[in-house]
Amino acid sequence: MKEIILPGDLLAETEVRGPYSYIENGKTYSMVLGMYEKERGAIVPLEGVWAPRLEDTVVGIVTSSRNSVYEVDLKFHGRALIIGGKFERFTFNVGDVVEATIKNIEDKKTIILSYPRLLEGGTLISIKAMKVPRVIGKDNTMIKQISNSAKSLIVVGKNGLIWIKGGDIALATEAILRIQDEAHVSGLTERIKKMLEKN
Amino acid sequence: MASKANKPELIVKGKRLDGRAFDELRPLKIEASVLKNADGSAYLEWGNNKVLAAVYGPMETQPKHMANSSRAIIKCRYAMAPFSSLSEHGRTGPNRRATEISKVTKEAFENVVMLNEFPGSMINIFIEILQSDGGTRAAGITAAAVALASAGIHMKDLIYAVSVGKVGEHLLLDLNMIEDNYSDSDMPMAISPRNGDVVLLQMDGEYTKEELSKAIAMAEEAGKTISKIQKEALRSVYKKVSDKYGGE
Amino acid sequence: MDAIDVVKSNYIRELLSRGIREDMRKVSDFRNISIKSGLIQNAEGSAQVDLGNTRVLAGVKLDIGEPREDEPNDGTVAMSAELLPLASADYESGPPSPESIELARVVDRGIRAGKCVDTADLFIEEGKAWNVYLDVYVLNYDGNLFDASEIAAMAALINTKVPAYEDGKEIREKRIKALKIDNVVTSTTFAKINGSLLLDPDGNEDAAASARMTIATDGQFIRAMQKGLGGSFSKKEIAEMAEMSLGKHHELKKQIEKAR
Repeated sequence: MKEIILPGDLLAETEVRGPYSYIENGKTYSMVLGMYEKERGAIVPLEGVWAPRLEDTVVGIVTSSRNSVYEVDLKFHGRALIIGGKFERFTFNVGDVVEATIKNIEDKKTIILSYPRLLEGGTLISIKAMKVPRVIGKDNTMIKQISNSAKSLIVVGKNGLIWIKGGDIALATEAILRIQDEAHVSGLTERIKKMLEKN
Repeated sequence: MASKANKPELIVKGKRLDGRAFDELRPLKIEASVLKNADGSAYLEWGNNKVLAAVYGPMETQPKHMANSSRAIIKCRYAMAPFSSLSEHGRTGPNRRATEISKVTKEAFENVVMLNEFPGSMINIFIEILQSDGGTRAAGITAAAVALASAGIHMKDLIYAVSVGKVGEHLLLDLNMIEDNYSDSDMPMAISPRNGDVVLLQMDGEYTKEELSKAIAMAEEAGKTISKIQKEALRSVYKKVSDKYGGE
Repeated sequence: MDAIDVVKSNYIRELLSRGIREDMRKVSDFRNISIKSGLIQNAEGSAQVDLGNTRVLAGVKLDIGEPREDEPNDGTVAMSAELLPLASADYESGPPSPESIELARVVDRGIRAGKCVDTADLFIEEGKAWNVYLDVYVLNYDGNLFDASEIAAMAALINTKVPAYEDGKEIREKRIKALKIDNVVTSTTFAKINGSLLLDPDGNEDAAASARMTIATDGQFIRAMQKGLGGSFSKKEIAEMAEMSLGKHHELKKQIEKAR
């Protein structure tokens, strides 16, 4: 049974640790607007910005390059950097779209990226990072279905930036945006499947 | 306060000019997530007040030198539209009253927003008063709390605000503009309903300490209704999409 | 314009090269327009316009003041616009930006050149006339503020009621007659992208545009024009846009007049 919870709502009379709740006087309260499954003690926020995690794959745009340090726009409130050097074999230009992996997060506000890869051509769309897991689906099932139906190459960044190349970009975009709007409603997988089959 | 020369009788036969009881709120309606671009937003109607609140963030701090490397900073803008008042056209531009309200509003939210979660970033709160009829700072805070929650900002609680004023020896809840102009005292308050902490309080006039306690109690009682309406506004955004598809 | 805008522009251009717009509109179609008038009862007139996702609120206030020296028997009309910081992540608080000033002046120009408001009717008595203040508040930006603001301004003026003036005082609570409107001006704005002219550009199309043209008309005459952004238009393109602007007038005017 899932219910909608709000900041300040009492979740438990005991201490339950988690990233979206806080403890005061031995009781646990919600910090966010989210869906709460009491049996599992799981909170899924309904809104909010991306919380970067180590090993996350992200997509971004190179905004500056200086002394082999590239600054990348991930639509994140802090900084994201790719640090090149004498032994690295990549060079990027400002404006390049890249896919990379989060190697380190310093003080919650500076992201260090590694394994950068240039994504040439294609187009970029932006969705709320909270909805990315639904766009990817369990074992990548959802994103594979969209990619196959639209016949497009798709790279999904955990930060909410998605790169699409070739095929029916409009169809892929529509499917992804619908998932964003209806992510919290059951039966989503079926509806998207129907929509993709129609085309 | 307005001149006492033309002071109307604010209480006639034990009732207020608009027919309300002394501890009765004006009608309050809130709708969450009304703007497409803002990260969070809320539209509120409280009596004749019409308020639009919006939140952007956490985002990169602008200007960069204002960033605090260990916590997020909150910036707040409270402003009244030039067409918001029943009387004259309001001049645009920085206004000392609006500047003060922006400051105390920001300080109210600093109590409940989890600033440590997003160090170095900025959370921008915008409160635009589209139509005013007394109690706009309380309306603004009540709307902004909903906007912050709808943006997914981590908070300890959903705060609300309301004012209590004094006319003669009576304490009146939620003064409208006429009452505010001619009252002997007005006290806007913002409260965290979870534990009753007062996060904003301003007052001018004359209160005994008993009246002060009584006024805070009146605000907390009204807060039960205000809180309910705030929460319902947030829940219904998600219920709406759910209903469309017969979801849970 | 940040890095994300550059990528969005490329997306728009790519779609255009295949003959489609983001939302599948024709190049000569407006987005859905909705007009709600009289929302702000404290104002003497008001109208909120949704043009796609662009949302604009216009409010009108009337104050008594002295007529201008060069027009002693007329009232005045003044317009201003504010791009509220809550309307877009790109807008900041502060003094009026060049964009907001241009917006106000362009909307004002069309309405003034069209002689829409009968300023002689605003005259009260020697030394006193009504001054009309129209303020456009942009609440959500998704392109084409010019047309959204023009529609909102016209609808708000049509919705405006003049307060009573008795025994030397204004009585705000008593609104006795409608503001006298002699003409209705509508506008159409085009974005030029890779040689195509798109009517009513949304936010992404606006970012991709090399040039922009706003044309205000009352169906018979062209009342005001404003070219924006760095690019250019050919004479043929200008004639084409003028034709389309005159053609769109009637339908837009019908929608606006419902604001009464």
